[in-house]
Amino acid sequence: MLKKLGALIIIQFIFSTSLYANDKLNIFACEPEWKSLAEEIGGDMVKAFSATHAKQDPHYIRARPSLISKIRRADLIFCSGAGLEVGWMPILVQKARSQVQPGNIGYFMASKYTPVIDIPNEIDRGHGDVHPEGNPHVHLDPHNILLVAKELNRRLSIIDSKNKSFYQEQYNNFVDKWQNSILRWNKEIESIKGKRIIIHHKSFDYLFNWLQLNEIASLEVKPGIPPTASHLKNILENTNKNSVDIIVVSPYDPTEGALWLSEKTQIPVVTLPYTIGGNEESNNLIALFDSSIKILQNALYDK
Amino acid sequence: MFMYKLLISFLITFFVFTKFVIADDLEDRVKELEAKIDQMENKGGGSAEGSSGSKKIYGNEFNPSIGIVLNGKYNNFSMKSAEPAVKGFAIGHEGERGREGLQLGESELNFSSNIDDKFYGSMTFAIVKESDTSDDKVEFEEGYIMTTPNFNLPDGMSLKAGKAFWTLGYMNEHHAHADDFANRPLPYRVYLNKSWNDTGAEISYTLPTDYYAEVGAGMFRGNDYPIKGPDGESAGAISAYARVGGDIDQDQNWRLGVYIVDGENSSGRKGNEDEIVFTGDTTLYVTDFRYSLAPTGNVREQELTLQAELFARNEDGTYNIDSGGENQFNGTSYGWYVQSVYKFNARWRGGLRYSQMETPGVPTALIGTDLDGEGYDPTSVAVMADWTNSEFSRIRWQFNQDKLASGSGSVDNQFTIQYIVSIGAHGAHKF
Repeated sequence: MLKKLGALIIIQFIFSTSLYANDKLNIFACEPEWKSLAEEIGGDMVKAFSATHAKQDPHYIRARPSLISKIRRADLIFCSGAGLEVGWMPILVQKARSQVQPGNIGYFMASKYTPVIDIPNEIDRGHGDVHPEGNPHVHLDPHNILLVAKELNRRLSIIDSKNKSFYQEQYNNFVDKWQNSILRWNKEIESIKGKRIIIHHKSFDYLFNWLQLNEIASLEVKPGIPPTASHLKNILENTNKNSVDIIVVSPYDPTEGALWLSEKTQIPVVTLPYTIGGNEESNNLIALFDSSIKILQNALYDK
Repeated sequence: MFMYKLLISFLITFFVFTKFVIADDLEDRVKELEAKIDQMENKGGGSAEGSSGSKKIYGNEFNPSIGIVLNGKYNNFSMKSAEPAVKGFAIGHEGERGREGLQLGESELNFSSNIDDKFYGSMTFAIVKESDTSDDKVEFEEGYIMTTPNFNLPDGMSLKAGKAFWTLGYMNEHHAHADDFANRPLPYRVYLNKSWNDTGAEISYTLPTDYYAEVGAGMFRGNDYPIKGPDGESAGAISAYARVGGDIDQDQNWRLGVYIVDGENSSGRKGNEDEIVFTGDTTLYVTDFRYSLAPTGNVREQELTLQAELFARNEDGTYNIDSGGENQFNGTSYGWYVQSVYKFNARWRGGLRYSQMETPGVPTALIGTDLDGEGYDPTSVAVMADWTNSEFSRIRWQFNQDKLASGSGSVDNQFTIQYIVSIGAHGAHKF
């Protein structure tokens, strides 16, 4: 009786399978910035999904059931790589199709196509959750976006060759738009170069490299090790109002440590959007950089 | 049962067979791909440059990933005499409460790697000491191969063979060091002798649906709880499962599953220090549910999980107590637990768990024996708090109250302090 019931349930499952008549390319992006870029280049020809949202720390995601169903049907997996998703991607990729396995055309790790900074000389977990591959938050340097967009265009044209010319056109438009934006941003950031900041985690290193800001300290004891009272006290003793201009956190960082330090030192805390959806304005990549620069300008104009 | 076995063998043969049949098709595809690569190369420098980045190979990358888990604990039990038997059940050694005092838990060593493009392999062994007088013992926990998606089974399908923590309920697939509590709940201790890692093969298929849906089936030697004691010839146990899951919104998700393991043993499953032997057909039904919520969207900072599993075991065979002769037995017992764990911040979590067994009625011949529950339902309550420094280290405090038999003399208050650390390869975490 129970075996019959089991068989029935299985049959039921197979027939309820929506035979998804979807001509669009399914793109599984690990982070919102890559979903946004996929939509810029892919336009109406792609259906992009982001496994994480701006309030989540992309290091720490659960390989939850819905991600399995999404990756199972993906034509392209588009992530930062460099170890950012190492805690949850490998288990999901095992459930994906062969085209999107590592080494194949559908497995696209952005950091393989950009310069990578912060590569540690010494690999020891005593230094925290170090990434032997370097800093994976590559999307916050606008020049990297161009490099990644170029590779994305190449891959889309191979995977979906019938729409090759469409992707090429979208790509050309995006590059024009982006290069103009870089010219504009370069003027806007002149006033904030050289300022001194305290960070929570190394999430913004690419942005600050580009903006030529100086990182004085990090609230995390070591990468991935949450702030402790003694570490914060230590920072407090070594900083005063004049040596640091702002404290920068991302939307997913806990703010207790930053607020505590700010109260003691009167150094303002600034939340940068970090990715698409990180604040109200940041609904596409250009807006993300616009908003980040505007927030920094406002916070630093009298420093 | 026989038909079912036949069906599974047929399925497995079918998929291996199709692999050869589709070889031709594969050749065509390779040709197609080669043509594409030619095309790409002809495009000139710009496009070929990009792909060279992904071909970097480091010498050491061929070594398997190595991961080590160390764990140690201190146990204090209020009941100093030997632990009472779980009223109404005969349980295996690993299902017992463990030793008192300072001790090492299972120290695990894991090696895993892709074998080639088509297979993945993993091996885990644990070193344990069961008592002060016994030698350290190596336990072979897992050693399996699994097809990768490049194996050309239909999309979403994979085959796993060897010895592994098979798909059954929520916890069984996870290694004990990933558990939220220092010990396992009663149904795992009673029915699975802590966990089910028989030798066998399992095929699983993830459906191409919008929500998560997976079905699977397997056949096993039958040399582990819940079956134990195979005849060594035919498959001693078979299993099947189906589970679904999805998101409620971006910060809430759930999973629900049903599982069955069925098997017949001929040489007997021994319990309660080998005094009680069951021979016959055992069917174990399991259903599990898990819900998790990230109140701020970020599971790194706060998370609430709710988890429950219900077990039902039907036994049809004979029980032999102290070699006192075979007694016919046909009955169903139940076991369940429900737990909730809350993460207050990146470092601290707290959890609560309740588990209970419900004993079956026994035939006249077994009245008054360990198998006679006398209407008593054994229970266990656990409260825990743990502190996590990084992804790799955790310290846990747990208070556990077992009431495995009736009477106030059977209340066992257990206090545990435990550390669990992992060194080396950064394994991905299963949901």
